[in-house]
Amino acid sequence: MAKNSRGIEVAEIVSDKCIACQICIGECPVGAIELSPDGVALIDPEVCVGCGKCFESCPVNAVKFEKKKRKKIPKEERVEPGKEAPGHQGVGVFIEMVDGRGAPVSWELVGKAKELAGQLDTKVMGLLLGGSVGVAADEAIAYGCDEVHLMENPFLSRYLSASYGKALADLCVKLRPAILLIGATPLGRDLAGVVATRLETGLTADCTGLFIEKETGLLLMTRPTFGGNIMATIFCQRQRPQMSSVHPKVFKMPDKDPARKGVVTRHELEAPAVELPEIIQFIPSGDTAGADIVRYPALVVAGRGACDQASMPLLEELAQLVGGVVACSRPVVQAGLMPYERQVGQTGKTVAPNLYIGIGVSGAVQHLVAIQGAEKIVAINSDPNAPIFRVADAGIVGNYQEIVPELIAQLRKIKSNANGER
Amino acid sequence: MHFVVCIKQVPDTAEVKIDPETNTLVRAGVESIANPYDITALEEAVRLKEKYGGRVTAVSMGPPQAESVLRQAFSLGADDIVLLSDRAFAGADTLATSYTLSRAIITLGKANPVDLVLCGKQAVDGDTAQTGPGIATRLGLTQFTYVVDVEWIDPEKKRVQVRRKVEGGFEIINGPLPALLSVELELARPRRASLPMLVSSLRTPVKVWDAKAIDASTQLVGIKGSPTWVKAIASPQVHRAGPRWEAEHGVAGAVSQALDALFADEDFEAKFRKGWE
Repeated sequence: MAKNSRGIEVAEIVSDKCIACQICIGECPVGAIELSPDGVALIDPEVCVGCGKCFESCPVNAVKFEKKKRKKIPKEERVEPGKEAPGHQGVGVFIEMVDGRGAPVSWELVGKAKELAGQLDTKVMGLLLGGSVGVAADEAIAYGCDEVHLMENPFLSRYLSASYGKALADLCVKLRPAILLIGATPLGRDLAGVVATRLETGLTADCTGLFIEKETGLLLMTRPTFGGNIMATIFCQRQRPQMSSVHPKVFKMPDKDPARKGVVTRHELEAPAVELPEIIQFIPSGDTAGADIVRYPALVVAGRGACDQASMPLLEELAQLVGGVVACSRPVVQAGLMPYERQVGQTGKTVAPNLYIGIGVSGAVQHLVAIQGAEKIVAINSDPNAPIFRVADAGIVGNYQEIVPELIAQLRKIKSNANGER
Repeated sequence: MHFVVCIKQVPDTAEVKIDPETNTLVRAGVESIANPYDITALEEAVRLKEKYGGRVTAVSMGPPQAESVLRQAFSLGADDIVLLSDRAFAGADTLATSYTLSRAIITLGKANPVDLVLCGKQAVDGDTAQTGPGIATRLGLTQFTYVVDVEWIDPEKKRVQVRRKVEGGFEIINGPLPALLSVELELARPRRASLPMLVSSLRTPVKVWDAKAIDASTQLVGIKGSPTWVKAIASPQVHRAGPRWEAEHGVAGAVSQALDALFADEDFEAKFRKGWE
């Protein structure tokens, strides 16, 4: 190992492993570490005292340090003591209301919560807010909640960050869930940040995987970062609840069991003491299909290679034939050809249709991650090396303007042939 | 009116990848840029200043080299630029970041009360969209996320009305100042800096504030104030690896073979025929 001029064994950063999280910089007691202009931590060997704190705190093992005598402190003791949080139990799920019903993403999360609660031997709590919650409480139980805690008040009939944030945070203070899951819808992402700040707890946004770590019972949350090019696994050591938001369609819709039993508890709303904003008007989007691309069983997705206004009628025709709509990848939105609502990808929507047909979609990782829930993927691209082919069930290499009309003709034949013969 | 804009320096994320062979980060050619959403927020703040009068302060938390995004902000119309930089701020997650920024906004407000805080909807490296709501909650500001238009500000009555994106459409909403807006890219197309502004931005001193300057508790900033930790990183796993056919050997044949492969799953074919019933 490298020694400095004073003969101290110093630590070194392996620069291509460093993720620039800066944890070591905060941990270093002598200020020997700085972030280089390239975004990599650098240790000044002359300042380093060889304590090894950076080595112990690095989440990705990017620090080389081999002082033999020092024993590695287990992770649990490594974290600065935060607020101890005893007595937090159960997995809470915020149930979002859309048009008087529970949002599908909420039920997907209840399904996941049931799985997590099973591993922790605890209960699932549905947390339901609204002006009129109707049958949503019963539905929550049918989908897997053991308890439903609701606040029903005309004051909650429309979403406002301040009123919902306080109501949900108040419920969490009262019920003390160990985990809280929120759908990463526009509303959910607005709400989650408010609640996490009110509760001063950790929140991991847009998770694509949730697991319980066997040894510790901690929630491990996997999420894409760096624009979807890298997956990070995050945990929240001390604060509770461990909060996570999850996009629609990331987890499977659970089966509904109307015979399931559960307990519904009503809670009083305590309104916030601040002046609330006033919603003047709601303007429905002109592009109704766009807002709903996640609900269609089939998607014809235009990518950079099909970024051409003249081709749209062709794609529309295919979409109609397969019972779906046209969506797109990021470059098409950037070119101004389609609205953001139709964008599939980590920064757009995660989708899980029965059939995905990508046309001229090259398959950036952030796009592929967002379509992996699709049952079948068909890829059409002129570049035989396009990454999309690696995830496709069937791929066709060539010019989509020739392929798509042929595809339409053959699919039409299959559909109209009642005998199932092709 | 005093407008404060929060700006984050981020790596150009399209370039950051993991080498699948060695499982290490590939950084070659990765540049640091100002988060595009934040530059949109700055543009809107400058336009509002031009309309209603006042000052725009740009704030960024980061290592010393983050001053470059503040100089950029100056060249685009910010009047004051403040860098929050302290070893103790390192390793911050969104909770610690929103605490640090809110302390800075309180400090800025002592000299000149803050009416409107603007920030990007999310940063393109983390995509969390949590820091804005975190700041608003800590400071008790009226929170408007996904803003696509600032319709008006009434400096007398201290109100602002915005159009924001919500599920299935837009919402027009107004509320009391001070407020926080987190903005969408379509809100405003950023201007280009003029040459004189670029030159003057290079000469402008950047104020650097540490934890003490903003009266921040060292227990609540940086890694110490961060409940969430990174455990590991990995390349995204993508499944399947289906067959492919070349259309140059005959379009009809390629399509028919691809459909055979697709419908080899008979249940799937049946669902397709029934229109996914």
